[in-house]
Amino acid sequence: MNGKKIACIILLMFIAILAYAGQVLHKNALAKRAAATQAESDTQSARGALTLLDTKVGVLRSESEDVRRFLVAWTPYVDKVQLQSDVETTISASMRNAGVVTLSNKFEVRDTRTDLVLPKIIRASLTIEDDYAKTLNWIGELERKLPLSRVMSCKISGGENGRQVRTEIVIEVPLPNLRAVPVPVVKI
Amino acid sequence: MSKNFLCHDFKSPRTDISRRLPGTMKIVPILFYGVLAMSAYFGIRDITDLKSADAERLASVAKKTEIEAAKTKLDLERIQIETEQFRGEGLAKWVEGTRSLQPATVAIARSVPPEVSINELFFERSADLPAQVSLTLRMTNGGPSDLAKIEDTLRRLRYRSHSPQQQRQGELVEYHSMLVWQDQ
Repeated sequence: MNGKKIACIILLMFIAILAYAGQVLHKNALAKRAAATQAESDTQSARGALTLLDTKVGVLRSESEDVRRFLVAWTPYVDKVQLQSDVETTISASMRNAGVVTLSNKFEVRDTRTDLVLPKIIRASLTIEDDYAKTLNWIGELERKLPLSRVMSCKISGGENGRQVRTEIVIEVPLPNLRAVPVPVVKI
Repeated sequence: MSKNFLCHDFKSPRTDISRRLPGTMKIVPILFYGVLAMSAYFGIRDITDLKSADAERLASVAKKTEIEAAKTKLDLERIQIETEQFRGEGLAKWVEGTRSLQPATVAIARSVPPEVSINELFFERSADLPAQVSLTLRMTNGGPSDLAKIEDTLRRLRYRSHSPQQQRQGELVEYHSMLVWQDQ
């Protein structure tokens, strides 16, 4: 093999190396382009999902606006009644202030395990015998002071004398938990 | 003169010491220059493309990260709204049944004339449907006109009377009705 042949072989090898390097570079460029296209596609999908979520949140926001405004309006009343003693104190103080004659009072706690927002309800059973106007004023005042109270039953009948009435009233007052979170629904 | 001198200086005339390559091998240097030129062209093009693709990918990734952050923020807002809605609905369900009964009691007492005596007035709220209140009224010397007045008064207080019943035993009249609060 003479020098010319060797030179030719070296040139051919060089050509092959150049071609190979060019191919490698091209493949690399193609891979990067594919990665860029994939990233762009992912971004488009994410943008679509964001638009969908934005619409859903917008609908949810407008649909729940009344309920949320209601919650904000009632939160101060809920904050006032957080413990059983708060309810008992408010009821006892209202009876004392109104000066109604109390024949009996009983407070019980009812657990409502299924209701996360209202886990406990205080049930007050009260029997009063006093002047009709005074008694009704007291009921009105109590319902005003405890807006969350629910009069479950109220029986007004004649008292010992003509001016007096006997009132048997059962009031329920919840102890709301405004830190309650909804139980996540498990999708099968 | 000087050219010849230079030529002689660098390359003196000599006879070939090896055999010439076949004519087809002339393609090798042409191929070499061709490949060199093509490599340069495609190399520059690929490198430019590679760089721009990389920049586009990074921009897309950054945009996606931004979108994901916005999505996370929206998701948190959704959870917050759902939680507030849950709490609000729970409370509203209760409040629905907390409508004050004192005005109804007072209104009933005021709607009957002094000669009619109310012996017993009994309100009982349904535990399952707290917006419904059962009313039982026992009175003496009362008549249908008094009961109509009572129903009218309750209607003005936005209570609708359902299935009212009345029984008379001598002077004693017993009236029973289911009161349902009307929003409108």
